[in-house]
Amino acid sequence: MYNVIQLLAKYGAHILFVVLEIICFSLIINYNKAQKDIFINSSNVLTSKIAEQQNQILQFARLKNQNDSLMIENANLIENLISIDYASDKIPNPDSILNQYSLIPAYIINNTTHLRNNYFTLNKGSREGIRKDMGVVSSHKGIVGIVRNVNDNFASVISLLHSQTRISCAIKNRLGHGTLVWKNMDPLRMNLESIPKHEKIAIGDTVITSGYSTMFPKGILVGKIEMYNVVPGSNSYNIVVRLFNDLSNIQYCYVIQNRFAAEQTQLEKEVENE
Amino acid sequence: MNNAIPTNIIRFIILYLAQIMIFKQVTFSLGGIAYIHFIIYPLAILLMPVKTPRAVLLIAAFVMGLALDMAYDSVGIHAAALVFTAYIRNIIIAFLEPFDGYSVADVPTVKQLGFGWFMSYISIGLLIHIFVYFSIEAFSFVYFFEIFLNTIFSFIVSFIVIIVTQFIIRTKY
Repeated sequence: MYNVIQLLAKYGAHILFVVLEIICFSLIINYNKAQKDIFINSSNVLTSKIAEQQNQILQFARLKNQNDSLMIENANLIENLISIDYASDKIPNPDSILNQYSLIPAYIINNTTHLRNNYFTLNKGSREGIRKDMGVVSSHKGIVGIVRNVNDNFASVISLLHSQTRISCAIKNRLGHGTLVWKNMDPLRMNLESIPKHEKIAIGDTVITSGYSTMFPKGILVGKIEMYNVVPGSNSYNIVVRLFNDLSNIQYCYVIQNRFAAEQTQLEKEVENE
Repeated sequence: MNNAIPTNIIRFIILYLAQIMIFKQVTFSLGGIAYIHFIIYPLAILLMPVKTPRAVLLIAAFVMGLALDMAYDSVGIHAAALVFTAYIRNIIIAFLEPFDGYSVADVPTVKQLGFGWFMSYISIGLLIHIFVYFSIEAFSFVYFFEIFLNTIFSFIVSFIVIIVTQFIIRTKY
């Protein structure tokens, strides 16, 4: 209490000054129209500036969540695209085929592209429904690889850039299909083999997945034909495909879940065993 | 010293009446905009005895300012400016302190502290008051040009009026 009195004795006049000025300004703002308008306008500008700054900071903090939700949205859109590709086929489809594929968004947390055999690691595993031999795409434009091993929380993916990669591909609007392999060490180019040389192809044709496996649905874009030739004595083209996506800088991807994969493989195995 | 209080109260009343009855009516305009206002009421605060406590100055200024605002129909503007002037007054006095300091009974008038001192004291105080007053009236430095012109012209005329009245009416306190 004594301190308070001492403070008032020492700074009372200054405090009084501040108090009186505050009273005056509140009077000015409340009872004078011109000043009130200016005050409201200025404070609006100020508060909106502050709100904007705050929003920017918060948005930065929320980027991760936004990205996650966008990925889920993208997954749905790509699912729809795949379904539309199937629906536009001439063969009448049962309704269930529209939902044959569903996509699981995931982040790539480890990635190499400079080795002969490259692998990715995803941040989701069997808990999210990822199983062995599922296909992985980075968007509708570009495949990434095939799931090799899964544990509870992580999945290891064989990259496209792997010496053992064999993916069945076709050329859009043309006949025949071949196998996509990675022969050179160039992370942007792959080779498409065993397209018979009597088929007509041209530079710039789009290479898509053929849909002849359980991993990838038909029609996912892979790349463009950059160059082709026929090796003498061979029966098929040697095609260099330039990939649409650069595997060295992708950050997230979608794992393709094929609901009927087990059925299909089981049937195919039965045929093989006969 | 005892005479100082009634003298000051009378001076307050006279200056208040003079301001609202005479000088409020006189406003010259230049180029369509009123730039010349007579503002003499800060004299009431500026002429209070040197050693007046700051709190008394502030409250006196607040009351005077509100009374003027009632007449001018501009709630708070004169009060805010005059409270500021009352607050800054002691700083000006300290700034202009003569070599041998002030005595307790000193009143800042021509008679007691000399013409030169009085001129600089009144000009600084009045200029600050007028500038603050027009700034608060405009309420935004977007109108800096208007504030500046108003301040300069009003200061000149008000200063002349104050100096003249100081030579006509010489109070002891």
